[in-house]
Amino acid sequence: MERRTALKIVALSALAPVGITGPAGTTLEGTAWTPGSYRLRFFNEQEIELLDNLMEMIIPADDHSPGARAAQVSLFADLMVATSDNHLKEVWRSGLQLMRHEASRSSLQAALARSAVNEGNPKNDLERFYGHLKEMTINGYYTSAIGIHHDLQYQGNTYLQRFPGTSEP
Amino acid sequence: MMTYDVCVIGSGPAGGTAAKELCEGGAKVIMLEAGQQVDPPYLSHKWPYELPYRGLRDEKQALFYPKDISKVIYDSSPRVDVDRVRVLGGRSLHWNAVTLRYAPQDFEEWSMRGVEEDWPIGYEELAPYYDRVEKLIGVCGRNDHLAILPGGNHYLPPIPWRASEHVLARATKSLGIPLISVRKAVLTVPYDNRSPCHYCGHCMDGCDVSAIFTTPDCMLPKARATGNFTLRQNAIAREILVDREGRARAVSFVDRITKKEEEVSARVIVVCCATVESARLLLNSRSPRHPNGLGNSNGVIGRYLHGHHLTIVQTYLEELKGTPPINQDGATDHVYIPRYNHLFGKPDYTGGWGIQVNYASYMFPFQAHHLHGYGAAFKTQVRKMQPGFLQMGAFGKTLSTPGNSVSVDLNQVDQYGIPVPVVRYQFVENDVAMWKAQTQSLLEICSKMKGSVYPDFGTGPSGFASHEVGTVRMGKNPKTSALDSNCRSHEVANLFVTDGSCFTTSSEKNPTLTIMALSVRAADYIKKQRKLGQL
Repeated sequence: MERRTALKIVALSALAPVGITGPAGTTLEGTAWTPGSYRLRFFNEQEIELLDNLMEMIIPADDHSPGARAAQVSLFADLMVATSDNHLKEVWRSGLQLMRHEASRSSLQAALARSAVNEGNPKNDLERFYGHLKEMTINGYYTSAIGIHHDLQYQGNTYLQRFPGTSEP
Repeated sequence: MMTYDVCVIGSGPAGGTAAKELCEGGAKVIMLEAGQQVDPPYLSHKWPYELPYRGLRDEKQALFYPKDISKVIYDSSPRVDVDRVRVLGGRSLHWNAVTLRYAPQDFEEWSMRGVEEDWPIGYEELAPYYDRVEKLIGVCGRNDHLAILPGGNHYLPPIPWRASEHVLARATKSLGIPLISVRKAVLTVPYDNRSPCHYCGHCMDGCDVSAIFTTPDCMLPKARATGNFTLRQNAIAREILVDREGRARAVSFVDRITKKEEEVSARVIVVCCATVESARLLLNSRSPRHPNGLGNSNGVIGRYLHGHHLTIVQTYLEELKGTPPINQDGATDHVYIPRYNHLFGKPDYTGGWGIQVNYASYMFPFQAHHLHGYGAAFKTQVRKMQPGFLQMGAFGKTLSTPGNSVSVDLNQVDQYGIPVPVVRYQFVENDVAMWKAQTQSLLEICSKMKGSVYPDFGTGPSGFASHEVGTVRMGKNPKTSALDSNCRSHEVANLFVTDGSCFTTSSEKNPTLTIMALSVRAADYIKKQRKLGQL
C-alpha cells in the first residue's frame, strides 16, 4: 500500500461528532467517523490510555498493518459505552479498575493474560470483562479504515460491471 | 368526498402488485402507506467508519424502521421476533430477493401428510400467476426441473458462483443433496428500463440502481402511468369502517405528520399490511356488525401465526485460507440448496428446510468473535481465514397451529392511540424435531469440507426470519379460515387480504413470490367482479 494511502486511512479513522445526512430528507442520529478531533464522553484520559494499551495488546501493530491504537479503537469504545445503559457503563468502569488492580501486582501484559485464562467460560468479573474488552476491540478495529482496508485488504463495496465468479479451487 | 374504486393499504410486494394490476385494469386506486418514500442513494455503500456507531446499531436499515412503529408485546418462546417495516415499498426495500415458487405438495399438507389444512387453491391454479410475476419483476436463475422447487420459463442469466460455493457444491454432491443457482429478483442484465446489479453485496440495505425488485421502482411507476393511482404516504390505518350491511366502506387513518384523523372511502378494500399489522388492523376494526373484528365472527383472524425458523452456521474453508483477498461481495446469495430431506426416506417429522448461502457481507471478519486468544497470532489468523468465509442459513417450515396468534391489547395503545399487537407463540414438537434434524444436517454438510465451523444454533428453534405468515388465512372451510380462494373475506364481500397473512400454511420457501402471485390473482378476480358489477 502506498504511504499516501495509508496516511489517508489513518486520517479517516479519526473521530468527530458531526451529523450525517442520509437519503433525501432524512438524517441519522449519532456520530460520523470523519476527520477531526473527538471529545471524550465517558472515559477519562487515564482510562483511555489504559484501553489503548490493552487493545493494542489484543490487536497489535505488525509488519502487515497498524494495530488498535492507530485505529483509535479506544475512542470508538468511548462512544459506544457513553451511549449504552448504566449497567454496561458500570461494567466498563469497574472492569478497567479490576484490570488496573491486577496489573499493579505484576504487569499489564500479565493482567490481560490472567483475564483471558478462561475465555468462553469466565469464572470471575475480571475474566468476564475480558470478553467485553475483546469484543469491543474486534468491533472497533475491523470497522475502522485501518482494519478494513489495510489489514483485511477488503476489495468490495464497489461498483462492478460484471461479477466474474471464480473457477473451482 | 371522493369514493375510490379500491383502497390498497400497504405498499410492499402485496400492495404494490395489487395496486399496479388494478390501476391497469381501470380502477381508481388510492394507496395508504404508513411510512414514507426514501430515495436513493441509500446508505448501502457507506463504510462503517462513515456511520454513527459504525453500523453496529443497524443505522443503515434505520431508514426503514422509524421510531413510531408501535411496540409488540411478546408472550412467546425465546428468540421469536416479528418484523415490521414502515417505508414506501415495505419489505421490498429491505429484502434479499430470493424468489421461489411453492411446490404442488406445499398446498396440500392435509391431503399428503395429514397435518394442518389444504389451501383452497393448488399449484396449477397459481402457476400462471407465478409466470406473470417472474416476467414482470425480473428473476435471475434457471429452471432446474425439480419437483420440490418448480421453475418457470423466463429467467435472466444466473449469477456466477464464488470459490466457496464450488467447494460447497462438492460437499453437497457427495451427500446426494442438490445445489442450484439461486433464483432471485435481482437483474443480471438490463431489464424493464432498470440497471443490472453492480455486485456491491448490500441488497438488504437498499439498492441505489433498482437492480433488486422494489415496488417503488417497479410497480408504482406503472400504476402512476395509468393516471388512476393516488398515493397517500404517512397514513397509518386505524380502522376499516363498515356500512349498515357490514360491508367495508372506508378506511380511517391518522396522518403521522399532522396527527389529523382522516377517512378515505372506497368500494373495495385490499389489506396488504403484512402478517402482524394486517391482523392488527382487522382486529381493531370492531363494530356492532363485527364485534370481534372485521370478518372475524369465527375468531380465526390473528390465529395460526407461523413462519420460518432459521439456523445459521459459518464455516471458514481451509483450502481458501490465506488466498489473496478478492472482491467476493456479489449479490449476496448466488446459490441455493432446495429442500432435500424428503429424498432420504420418511423422517419422523413433517416439513423440511432450504438453505440460503452467503447472504452476509464479506466485509466483517465474524470469525474474530469465535477465535480464542489475542495478539499477533490472533490477528494473523483472522486475516488468513477471511477469504474462506462461507455462510449457510437453513430456513425451516413451522406448523400452523391455532394457539399461536397475533391479538391486540385494547388497554395499551401506541402514540396514535391504536391498540398494540400481542404475539403469542410457542414452537410445537414437530418444529423442535425438525430443528434438530436441520442442525445435524448442516453440520454433516460442513463435515464434508475442511475448515473451521461455527454454528449459531442456540438451544432451540428461533423465528421468524422476517417470513411470518398465516394470521388471516385462506381456506376451503369458512369456519376455520378468514378468506376464500381469491383472498376475499368470507364475511365481507368487498374486503381482500393478499399479504403473507393469507397463507394457509407455509413451506420452507421464501414467501414473497407467492405473495405477489396471490396479489395478481386477487386483482384479476376484483377486475372481473367489477366488470360484472359485483364490486
